[in-house]
Amino acid sequence: MSAARRAQVLLGGSIVAALVLVGVYLAAGGASYAPAKTQDPCKARAWRSPEGLAQIAEQFSLSALDGAACKLGVSREALAQALASPEARERFAQRYHLSDAQIARAVRAGLLRAVDDAERAGSLSPLIAGPLRETLRGIDLEEAIELIDDAESLLGKVEGILGPAQELLEGFLP
Amino acid sequence: MSAAPRPRVAALALAVGLVLADSSIVVLALPEIYRELDTSVSGVSWVLVSFNLVMALAAVPAAHLARRVGPGRTAAVGLAVFAGAGLACAASTQLSTLLAARCVQALGGAAAVTAVLELLPATVGSERRAAALWATAGALGGLLTELVSWQSIFLLQVPLALAAAVPILAVARHEAATGIISTELRRTGRPHVLANLALAMVSAAIAAALFLLVLLLIEGWRLSPIVAAIVVSAMPACALLGARLGETVPSARARAAAGTILVSGGLGGLALLPKATVALTLPPQALVGVGLALVLSALTETALGGRSPQAIHGGWTISSRHAGVVIGILAVTPIFTHDIAQQRSDAIDAGTAVVLDSRVSPLTKLDLAGRIESRLNEEKGKVPTIGPAFEPLPEDEGERAAVVQLREELQDQLNRGATHAFSPSFGIAALIGLLALAPIGLARKEQVPL
Repeated sequence: MSAARRAQVLLGGSIVAALVLVGVYLAAGGASYAPAKTQDPCKARAWRSPEGLAQIAEQFSLSALDGAACKLGVSREALAQALASPEARERFAQRYHLSDAQIARAVRAGLLRAVDDAERAGSLSPLIAGPLRETLRGIDLEEAIELIDDAESLLGKVEGILGPAQELLEGFLP
Repeated sequence: MSAAPRPRVAALALAVGLVLADSSIVVLALPEIYRELDTSVSGVSWVLVSFNLVMALAAVPAAHLARRVGPGRTAAVGLAVFAGAGLACAASTQLSTLLAARCVQALGGAAAVTAVLELLPATVGSERRAAALWATAGALGGLLTELVSWQSIFLLQVPLALAAAVPILAVARHEAATGIISTELRRTGRPHVLANLALAMVSAAIAAALFLLVLLLIEGWRLSPIVAAIVVSAMPACALLGARLGETVPSARARAAAGTILVSGGLGGLALLPKATVALTLPPQALVGVGLALVLSALTETALGGRSPQAIHGGWTISSRHAGVVIGILAVTPIFTHDIAQQRSDAIDAGTAVVLDSRVSPLTKLDLAGRIESRLNEEKGKVPTIGPAFEPLPEDEGERAAVVQLREELQDQLNRGATHAFSPSFGIAALIGLLALAPIGLARKEQVPL
């Protein structure tokens, strides 16, 4: 093989090798190998069919998080991290320039949306949903702030809200 | 021209390899220095930048000094300074003193390596072989890896530099005794601007590749420095293959262009890693390794070939290579430090979504959320290994399976974030590498031999 031919082969081989590598990695999903995008909290999310009060409360809390996050214009995940501890909530409030009252109002709106979502999904009877909405509308800001102090408290409070109606609720559970 | 004694040839090769391979060895110590000296990624990058910047600035003046004072004496003193500053580096307990010692080390290194280049044609026998030896010494030096601590890398340089200096002392003594220096004092020709420009661009891409890959493996994927050193040694290992391949193609322009394309293709592959797996870094590393051997030797030969004095033109190529390293590291560091913070945040959001939507029982989920948050805080701004937050696993079999699945999904999101954070920087490094094709192409238009 002549020197010129060897040079051509080397150059051609290099171009092919580079293109093949990049092509294979692209085809294997290299361009999209990144953390999953968080979902828009304002869009409706599939409602699971929870069993038992704890799971209903959890589903309810998730839906409430979506509603509150939508109201605040943040992701559900960012709000969940903020509610994990008072320090995290403080950092969150500073970052997004929010007062406790604004967060509390958003949480109350989120809880109301959770009732709507549960009712729409058939997990909550309209007979329960109506009074529950009234109860939630009556939560004052202090109580709502207390409610969002941490995630455990949120779950506990939701259970607390649903608790008195437990027997009634269970009777209407699908 | 009489043949030089074998020990002297070995010493010259060792001196060149030691100085030119410095960055590829020290880069492996950066994550440990970063942690131990409690600095930032930008701060620790100056351990490389300071050395390379001083090398870039001092190489040509050092070459002139070598011609005036004598290459033997300059090389011996340069190696002694390099060794002494290496000791100071190892003794440093603060970043500022380490950086100062690195600057002094680079001054010694610049003096040593440019002076040795002046001796190489006389000792090895031909300029082509001298250039080839020089080009491959760096790749061979890359095989040296850290053993115990970051200080050990600098400590290891001390006896090696002194060992290289001993046989060169004979030349220095001869110069001192006779007043005759082995260089011809002829007029310095113009440096090969296009070859040196291409060399700077390719060096920028290669330096960024090594710097980013080491940080990805150690800081992103949490591999130990030793394992990372073994993984990145694929590059110099493939460079040896590339050097053999280059010997079969006489055209320097073809080798330069092919090497540049391979380096950029490899970097493109690293920018598009489809999974956080070491095995997937090997094909891109192979391309970068083969490519760097082809392009560095071709461009160095072109820059040095037919030009004299060797030390001055060698000084220009050393200056170009090290300026390229500085540009490469300074170009990608701010981009990837910003991206890693963004990707960490995105990964934590994605991980939170995984936790919220998991089938794990609500109370276990709450417990895990607290432990995961502590784990993230412990890692302070880095992408963490999340496994310890899940220990101990629940006893209930069904719950345990759900927790294990959650752990894997969560770690996957963090790995995605860690890997993706480096993608734009690898992509930019690939583009910088491709830019080198411009001076290589211009050289053809202007009929400049390349």
